[in-house]
Amino acid sequence: MNFEAIIGLEIHVQMKTKSKMFSASPNSFSRMPNTEVTGFDMSFPGTMPRPNKQAIINAIRIANALHMTIDPLVRFDRKNYFYPDLPKGFQITQEFHPIGRNGYLDILDKDGATKRIHIERIHLEEDTCKQIHFSDYTLLDYNRAGIPLVEIVSQPEIHSGTEAMHYVEAIRNIAVYSLTSDGKMEEGSLRVDVNVSLRPYGSTIFGTKVEIKNINSLKHIEQAIDYEIQRQRACLLSGGRVAQDTRRFDESSGRTVSMRVKIPAVDYKCFPEPNIVPIRLSKEFIQEAIDSCPELYEAKKTRYIEAGLPSIDADIILSNLDMSLYFDEALKKCKSAKTLGNFMIVEVNAYLNRKGIGIKDYPLDPIALAEIANYQEEGYTHKQCVEILSYCLENACTPPADAKRALHIEMHDSDENAVLELVTQVLNDNPQSVADFKSGKDRAIGFLIGQVMKKAKGKFNPAVVAKIMNTEIQKR
Amino acid sequence: MKGISLDVLKDAANRLMFDMSEQEYQTLLVEFKSLVQQMESLAKIEGLENVEPMTFPFECSTDYLREDVAEEPLPRDEALGNAGSISDGQIKLPKVVL
Amino acid sequence: MDYLDMGIAEIHSALVKKEVTPLELARLALQKAKENKENAFEYICEAEALEFAATLVEPEENNLLWGIPYACKDNFSTKGIPTTASSNILEGYVPLFDATVVKKLAEKKAVLIGKTTLDELAMGGTGTTGHKGTTFNPYDPDHKHLIGGSSCGSAVAVAAGIVPFAIGSDTGDSVRKPASYGGLVGMKATWGRISRYGLFCFAPSLDHVAYFTRSVEDSATLLNALAGRDEMDSTSSFQPMDNYASGLGNELKGKRIAIINGILDTIRNKKLISAFQKSVDQLILAGACIDYVDFPTELLHAIYPTYIVISCAEATSSNANLDGIKFGPYRGGATYQEVMSNARTKGFSELIKRRFVIGSFALMSENREELFERAQKARARIVQVTNQILADHDAIYLPASPSTAPVVGGSSDKLSDERLIADNYLQIGNFAGLPSITLPLTMLDGYPIGVNLTGKAFDEKNLFGIAKSVERITGLEGLDVNVRKEALL
Repeated sequence: MNFEAIIGLEIHVQMKTKSKMFSASPNSFSRMPNTEVTGFDMSFPGTMPRPNKQAIINAIRIANALHMTIDPLVRFDRKNYFYPDLPKGFQITQEFHPIGRNGYLDILDKDGATKRIHIERIHLEEDTCKQIHFSDYTLLDYNRAGIPLVEIVSQPEIHSGTEAMHYVEAIRNIAVYSLTSDGKMEEGSLRVDVNVSLRPYGSTIFGTKVEIKNINSLKHIEQAIDYEIQRQRACLLSGGRVAQDTRRFDESSGRTVSMRVKIPAVDYKCFPEPNIVPIRLSKEFIQEAIDSCPELYEAKKTRYIEAGLPSIDADIILSNLDMSLYFDEALKKCKSAKTLGNFMIVEVNAYLNRKGIGIKDYPLDPIALAEIANYQEEGYTHKQCVEILSYCLENACTPPADAKRALHIEMHDSDENAVLELVTQVLNDNPQSVADFKSGKDRAIGFLIGQVMKKAKGKFNPAVVAKIMNTEIQKR
Repeated sequence: MKGISLDVLKDAANRLMFDMSEQEYQTLLVEFKSLVQQMESLAKIEGLENVEPMTFPFECSTDYLREDVAEEPLPRDEALGNAGSISDGQIKLPKVVL
Repeated sequence: MDYLDMGIAEIHSALVKKEVTPLELARLALQKAKENKENAFEYICEAEALEFAATLVEPEENNLLWGIPYACKDNFSTKGIPTTASSNILEGYVPLFDATVVKKLAEKKAVLIGKTTLDELAMGGTGTTGHKGTTFNPYDPDHKHLIGGSSCGSAVAVAAGIVPFAIGSDTGDSVRKPASYGGLVGMKATWGRISRYGLFCFAPSLDHVAYFTRSVEDSATLLNALAGRDEMDSTSSFQPMDNYASGLGNELKGKRIAIINGILDTIRNKKLISAFQKSVDQLILAGACIDYVDFPTELLHAIYPTYIVISCAEATSSNANLDGIKFGPYRGGATYQEVMSNARTKGFSELIKRRFVIGSFALMSENREELFERAQKARARIVQVTNQILADHDAIYLPASPSTAPVVGGSSDKLSDERLIADNYLQIGNFAGLPSITLPLTMLDGYPIGVNLTGKAFDEKNLFGIAKSVERITGLEGLDVNVRKEALL
């Protein structure tokens, strides 16, 4: 029998706002426990929620990017349950009226074809406090309590690990490029819970759902789901039944393993949050939130490609938000996206890797890099430009023009007549070498080019010399 | 609606993280029956089913939202000053297992 | 009779003339508080009050509250001052911030002299369920009568002449009912008019900051000080404020006042009815237009269950923060469940637990529609009918309670119409968030009893004007146990 995998994803995106969802506590990801806390986060009696404007703007931007219907009346609800990480004994969320409904996202399926995944809802809520588990006790850090979250719930329309990975990647790109989140899965600022079930092709009845929690990278999403599909298929084919379960992905074995938890059916007893009156968003407010949204990943990529950057280079630059922001700044002053991209991907990255720093700490400003890339466009050789770049970096970011002067770098002469004149002269002066070349000694041409360059004192562009030499030697 | 029995009430209480005496459960059971009866009579109010449930005392909405500006957090010692079990700048609990 | 039995304006005048100082007033209030036998106080802030009062030297002529001592219900957060909401689960809790009303009063230089007792977590109407036991009615030295709750201690503090005003909270009738039993003016303004920041949530959609005074004038003075938008309470209103005292001289002529038949008719106390009718006659003489209006009986019967379901549901959630982990006594346990359960089992009284179970049950997915949502729908209907009445009237006028102060341990037929309707109808004011004021009507057998006026949302100024007219009719302005007055009715 053939089975179809039905996969649904719930993604929690943690926002990097300045303050928390319902309190003005700082949200700056302090490493010192319990130093980013005000009374509301610890639920001191009498404290009340105060919704964060930026968090709502962020949610509108994500909803818009996902082509969702945005509810102009923002309402919150309480989800009630007891757990040590839940200071109030309830979480403020949007159970009944999510800010966005009925959207979609186009992704690539495993064959590279475009596939539309429908999105059921996105809603705003607050994060819980962090539990740090030790062998016989648990510590509570309230810094995380109240950080704004947006939860994105897909329809169960994903059928493979690869699709799921592409879906999460696309969501992450939206979250990162809208400046909502840093989207770091490994640090928990983007959390993915996956539901996987199998059913025979053609069936409309869903199989038993297995949940996989705490997957901390894109690659692991693919691996975990593909493993889980195989596991469930094997189970069904051998006549077994898939048990309802919550599993985690074990990186070392590449398998999902049962977390062996009995999560009792919890009735969340939701009801509207009476401490927040409904917030009416004007059309203008929603439009402004959308219009002021920073350029998103897909739009940037299209723009880069149109500017002449190869698609593969665009992907590399866009894999890092700060890299792309740097690139954008440089591109404004640069004549060639392709050349600039090449500098970023090769020289800049090499420097960053060597120093172990990020682009934000790259000493040279984007305009200077653009200037250097422009030199190459003007006719300086790549090698010369790299020399200038190195000089700038080693000399306290000397302006590139000064660096060029200090290095006595001059542009190669590309006057083909002047080159031809010298080439002819060198060919005439070295009949033996010409004869060697004709008898098959390819190396001889290198010697001849070298002679030309020597006579020109390096002024000629070697590529031009090589081209003309090749033509002329054939004529002999 | 869920049938009301002592077991149902005990389960509800335990899910609220407390226990009560047997006698109190009995009192509660009586109280409940009377309340449920009254609530059932509400169902007879004409047209009630079509009324929009009311959360706020009157039609109120706002276009006001807090600007995203961080305030000074509490000093940690103060934040934890009312907690009965702390360790190393954090609240300490017996190991939490799911 | 001393300064503290006087009205705020009168005390203010003495302060301005330097006949008395804030420090002397604070000392007097503290002494009276300590001597109080009715169990009015959770905590007397002696050191804090004396320290603050000593700083008040130059009288502020335009600030009526300058140097005036007051008391505050112990479910308001007070920075550095223990606050328990009369519950063991908050024993030892010392808040880190001041409630907005406390802050506003401090800015006005009013002097907080004590935190007052309440029914545990404000959930009750008797003043008997706080962890310090029953709070008694100061009109009965034998302590056989209750003052009522949940703002029992604040009611006593004003009725016994300890302070000229006290802050309370009103979720069902927790200020307006004890005001009736204590011969006081008890006021709650429109929902959202006074910030609730720092008031411990019981049922936020019904909760109001409210307060006791001994005159309508003082009540208006207080609202001028307490009202206004507050950044910390996002439900607080942006509606512009009035000068609430500016309507006190208004004539009754042309005012339309509604009396709801179905509520009045359930009251069996003939003396009360007679006094009430006399007051109505006087209102008519003063030019008011009185209409007796109907209210669907089934909706009047719905008030009590609707209130119980909504208030308990919101309360079980609002008090879920009380788990012994972040504040309140930590009682240990082998698992986190035990830690919470130990704290909550020992921390809450049985009555509270029963209410939490009721509320939680009403919210369960299987019951939600038939309990919580049905109650929300009934609330909507009750509010709709009330607002229809108020569309044609300035206020609804009725006895604030069907009887004078109940006796300790007394039981009445819980399901009688008088109990179900006349004893609970003030909750309509909470359902609809309307401004509502109780003031003394008369004395019956040595005990005061009040009337209530409920007006349109944000129409407090008009309501105070009408209440002032009623006060002129009753002649009971400034009533307290030390200033017994002859009732005119």
